[in-house]
Amino acid sequence: MRSRFSLKQEFLKKWILGLQRCRSSKKNMSIFERKKVIKLSADVAMASARKGTTCWSRALIADAIKEGNADKHLAEKILGPASERQLTEKVPVGAMAYNKRIRSKKILKRSSVILRTIKCAPQAARPSSIVKRLVGKRRQILRSLIPGGEFMNGVSLIEETLDYIISLRAQVDVMRSLASASKLVNLN
Amino acid sequence: TTETRSNVTVPDGGEVAAFESLQFTDEIHRLISAPATDNASSFTALLELPATQVVELLHSPESVKLIVASAPNVEDFKGSFHFPSNTGLIQKDARFSVFSGEGNNKNEKSNSPEMTSKISSANLEKAVKSEPAETASSLPLVSDPTVENRNIKRKDREKKVKGSTKKSKTATNKRLEDAEKLPYVHVRARRGQATDSHSLAERARREKINARMKLLQELVPGCNKSIGNYIFVFKSFRIKKLIALKSPCSLNFFRMQTEFIYFDDYLRSEKSHVPQISGTALVLDEIINHVQSLQRQVEFLSMRLATVNPRIDFNLDSLFTPESGSTMDGGNFPSLVTPLMWPDVQVNGYRQQFQHQWHFDTLKQPIWGREEVCNNYVTLENSLLSYDSSANSGKITF
Repeated sequence: MRSRFSLKQEFLKKWILGLQRCRSSKKNMSIFERKKVIKLSADVAMASARKGTTCWSRALIADAIKEGNADKHLAEKILGPASERQLTEKVPVGAMAYNKRIRSKKILKRSSVILRTIKCAPQAARPSSIVKRLVGKRRQILRSLIPGGEFMNGVSLIEETLDYIISLRAQVDVMRSLASASKLVNLN
Repeated sequence: TTETRSNVTVPDGGEVAAFESLQFTDEIHRLISAPATDNASSFTALLELPATQVVELLHSPESVKLIVASAPNVEDFKGSFHFPSNTGLIQKDARFSVFSGEGNNKNEKSNSPEMTSKISSANLEKAVKSEPAETASSLPLVSDPTVENRNIKRKDREKKVKGSTKKSKTATNKRLEDAEKLPYVHVRARRGQATDSHSLAERARREKINARMKLLQELVPGCNKSIGNYIFVFKSFRIKKLIALKSPCSLNFFRMQTEFIYFDDYLRSEKSHVPQISGTALVLDEIINHVQSLQRQVEFLSMRLATVNPRIDFNLDSLFTPESGSTMDGGNFPSLVTPLMWPDVQVNGYRQQFQHQWHFDTLKQPIWGREEVCNNYVTLENSLLSYDSSANSGKITF
């Protein structure tokens, strides 16, 4: 429990700092913008709490500051000056190479599957192939859910998922306690 | 063993994952090799067939009497159901959901990265009443030299061997259905319908999953929603043949234990949705659902926090500077001195009240001078904000 506690602690700290950093010039942002900022800062804080040890955290941060992102400036502001962002630099390069590898592997696999289905079509009814298909489908879904999931192979996908789930839980707990605390203050 | 596991901290995802999976498998093996130690409170004993009976079943698959003899196990299992209260296991819920499949896989010798999926499919196959052609293909995969696994494998193999005959299929079906009614089993001979194997297999599996669903719904009170999810998944993916996974007679002790641990966890936690049913595809399903629900919760909570009524009374300036002045190291929060007016700072201001009281004493113990009412809500925050300078000093950089 202590490790989870310190994770929450760190997350909260970084979240507050992120919120601080990306204060807006206009005082009354719309509620959706506020929500976006809150969520983004929370996500980035959660990812940075991992300090680059996990793939999903790196991918999340890299995603937040990549060029095509609408909130890039926001994320950059949250992350702070460029001197502190030592963790995010190595992600895009590695990710691209890995992505190519994954793509080529997928092409190979698909061609082999096509060959296999041509040769032995009636055996598709075997439970093993069905199971493989199902598991593969779910793996795809999982990959789409986890940030940077496309870059992981089977085993690391599961590990990353676990870490991501833990972080998400911590994040949800902290946010929930904040929300309830604020509600109490409103009542008083 | 469970105590040791509950003391294991989580330094990193990678090593702990492997480490805990090994621990889990060790735990499982210990529990398997000592079946008679537990009373009916542990369903491992209930599900565990004595070795002699297993051997008999293995060598005489067409014998019906043995099927009948093993039926009381299911009956016991259903009757005196008790979730194993391994708190250590329950706490590590998410991790275990995966390593129920993975741990067993890692135990078996796997050479290729895709072996895990193959072996998990082999695990699935153990419970699937597949055609005899499958028996030969999956047996090499499950030929594990360890003694502890042999019980499981033998049972699963005998399940497969039994599955080769339609009569035994029906027998196990009947055992499932009768597990809820009668202690003995009626076996209907279906030899004449051997030509219609596919429909027969389909029907067998459908009956199995229905019985299984009923059993689950009896066991877990609030489980209807999750079972509805799984039914939907089944129908959408047309997994009728895999329905046999959910057989409670699946003597893969590994999956059963994790399954019931999760049901226990599910019962305890009203909010979180962590039920789980065995099988790799279903484990992944569960994980996906969990991740999605967590992400949705984050969205919802961030929206909720955005609606917090902003009171611009406080700012974080006063929040942090007194701290840094008195009790914290100088270089801890260099960026905190920046003035800030943030609409949501009202929440921070709330914390600030407590923090003012804090560092008049020590920093570690939050003081509840003013607001004893909201203790349980703010405990987390304040303990979170009790900046342990030794641990977190200077680590502001992202």
